[in-house]
Amino acid sequence: MPEPDRTELVCAAQRGDAIAMQELLGLLTPYVGRLCGPIALDDGADATQEALIAIFRNLGQLTEPAAVFGWARAIAVREAVRVARRSRRVVPAELADVPAAGDAELSVDIRDVLDRLAPEHRAILVLRDVEGLDEQTVGELLKVPAGTVKSRLFRARRSFRKEWDR
Amino acid sequence: MNWPVADLDPVRRLRVLAAGLPGAFLAESVLDAPFDRVWAVAADLEHELPLLLRNVRSLRIVQADGENLVADIAGHFFLRDTFDVVLRPGWCVMQSARVVGGMAAVTEGTGTRFAFLGALRVPGTRPAAPVLRKVGQPVGRGLLGRLRDRVA
Repeated sequence: MPEPDRTELVCAAQRGDAIAMQELLGLLTPYVGRLCGPIALDDGADATQEALIAIFRNLGQLTEPAAVFGWARAIAVREAVRVARRSRRVVPAELADVPAAGDAELSVDIRDVLDRLAPEHRAILVLRDVEGLDEQTVGELLKVPAGTVKSRLFRARRSFRKEWDR
Repeated sequence: MNWPVADLDPVRRLRVLAAGLPGAFLAESVLDAPFDRVWAVAADLEHELPLLLRNVRSLRIVQADGENLVADIAGHFFLRDTFDVVLRPGWCVMQSARVVGGMAAVTEGTGTRFAFLGALRVPGTRPAAPVLRKVGQPVGRGLLGRLRDRVA
């Protein structure tokens, strides 16, 4: 959808136009699902629903309609981490055994790797490797220093390669 | 690398839409009938909606372009409204200048989870939201009960 049309759609949804809201929901759902799926895993649908509820309840606070996807991303990641932590299914661990984007090891089933990580660490991976954000931006979104993001990713990828070469 | 992706079924989407509309009510139930039978009834707006919703006397589709429709709905007490409608399998949202309605369905086990949404688009909806939700619940439960009978 061209940006002017999308901006118009967001503005209509902000005015409470339900037809525009359901169209915007159709645009945002796959994007939010791609973020929430790898972070919340088995709770991905719950996380996606709760993230979208937060997004639509607060849509009126979005001051730059053209930036709706970036705004939704921050909410989606926050909600996905919250839902995943609440489910208590995770065994928190350091980022371990994780390949870098573009590595040959990427053919490994990522689900097995994600299962061993804490939700916050999955969020770092998703923002870095799925969204392609730099460490600074990832740190701002997750409210951790960029250096922490970088070191966690570095350690993770080194650990992964050791396992792979064994 | 195949990252896990989460999807949102139509009923979950309708919950999101309800959360975004001040004062909207949502009624939801699992019906003991397959999706195709449930949706065949729900999507037959002209014939079935007047049977399912007591305040609707007649509904006439006056324009159709794929999943986008325009419907004239006549209610009791001489109420009449034109609705923009989006209708596709498992999903229906309709809106006039004053009212929003919605229906969603998804297979659940051997039955169907069905949800119905209603909301007003008039000034003062936000402060009156708790009252509107309370008033709307019997409307939703009534529709679900009649739909349950229709698909039994």
